[in-house]
Amino acid sequence: MSRETRLELVTRGTVEIIQPAELQRVLEEKKKPRAYWGFECSGKQLR
Amino acid sequence: MMHIGTGLVCGTKIKDMVQAGFHFIIFLADWHSMINNKFGGDMEKIETAGEYFKHCFTALGLTEDKVEYIWASELASKPNYWERVIRIAKTITAQRAMRALPIMGRDLKTQDVETASLFYPCMQAADIFEMSLDVACAGIDQRKAHVLAREAGEKLRWRKPVALHTPMLMGLAGIQGSDKGNYDEDPKLSGVIAAKMSKSKPENTILLHDSPELIEEKLRKAYCPPKIVEGNPVIEYYRLLAFPANKTVVLKRDQKYGGDLEFSSFRELEEAYKSEKIHPQDLKVNMARILADMLRRVRGYFDKHPEPLEQMRNIEAR
Repeated sequence: MSRETRLELVTRGTVEIIQPAELQRVLEEKKKPRAYWGFECSGKQLR
Repeated sequence: MMHIGTGLVCGTKIKDMVQAGFHFIIFLADWHSMINNKFGGDMEKIETAGEYFKHCFTALGLTEDKVEYIWASELASKPNYWERVIRIAKTITAQRAMRALPIMGRDLKTQDVETASLFYPCMQAADIFEMSLDVACAGIDQRKAHVLAREAGEKLRWRKPVALHTPMLMGLAGIQGSDKGNYDEDPKLSGVIAAKMSKSKPENTILLHDSPELIEEKLRKAYCPPKIVEGNPVIEYYRLLAFPANKTVVLKRDQKYGGDLEFSSFRELEEAYKSEKIHPQDLKVNMARILADMLRRVRGYFDKHPEPLEQMRNIEAR
């Protein structure tokens, strides 16, 4: 997959990236970078 | 229960990241939930809810061969974890940590908080470094935690993460139905957080498990003023849910009202709505159909695995 395609996949639908240049560097330097999303394990009110 | 903001907005973004080659971790923040007094801080119930969350994401296609699931309690049991939390806590003032508490859903004005709350943003930052992350993803309501993590990283000379933020999915009541809380120094962002789907009453949210009939019923009551797109949750769902998942979106309509309409971009649909070419009722009924379609596989999964959902219902009922 080209770097442009990866970048498009990662950034689409986002409202903010801090910072875009750093993200580009991550994609350039790493084939399998590490990312996460944290979720509170809760019921009625979620973040 | 999980709502479509978490399931579809986060779920879709995580799939994008996996496809782009990321090693993606879904972090089940049991400790953080305890600090935030979820289920009265009952760790056993929190674990049940975490297991249920894992099933929800699995049902959405994020199976264990595609993503890694890590519990906060696994990280917290490592010997160096709490040292990391303290090192981060040493880089920020208590006032600063207080101002970050909207990440827990607290109003900025809240004064009387448990001291444990101040650990929350520090732990959230520590998690990022502990898992050697390149990118931290979250809804825009978590930006304060990420900014804090980046600043702590700079001060401690740890590699700071890229922060990636997704929009908040508006509740069915739209902007006009949001609470009047203050969640950010930036009034616009504060308003977005106040209007988010999870913020208020159950009738304001669509759950992953809602039947197609219930989804339609909820959408019929949704705030959807004709011609207006600003603060209109239904049009927002087209922008954030329908178009990202589909190349084209078809609005089915009775022949006597002009027949079906097909749109290949959100802008086209937005323009058509603004110029009254689409009636709010058609916008709602079609969104109900689209959502019911998107959630079909989740319903199928829980038909086959009813236990986690039942357990979740049990702990929520109490």
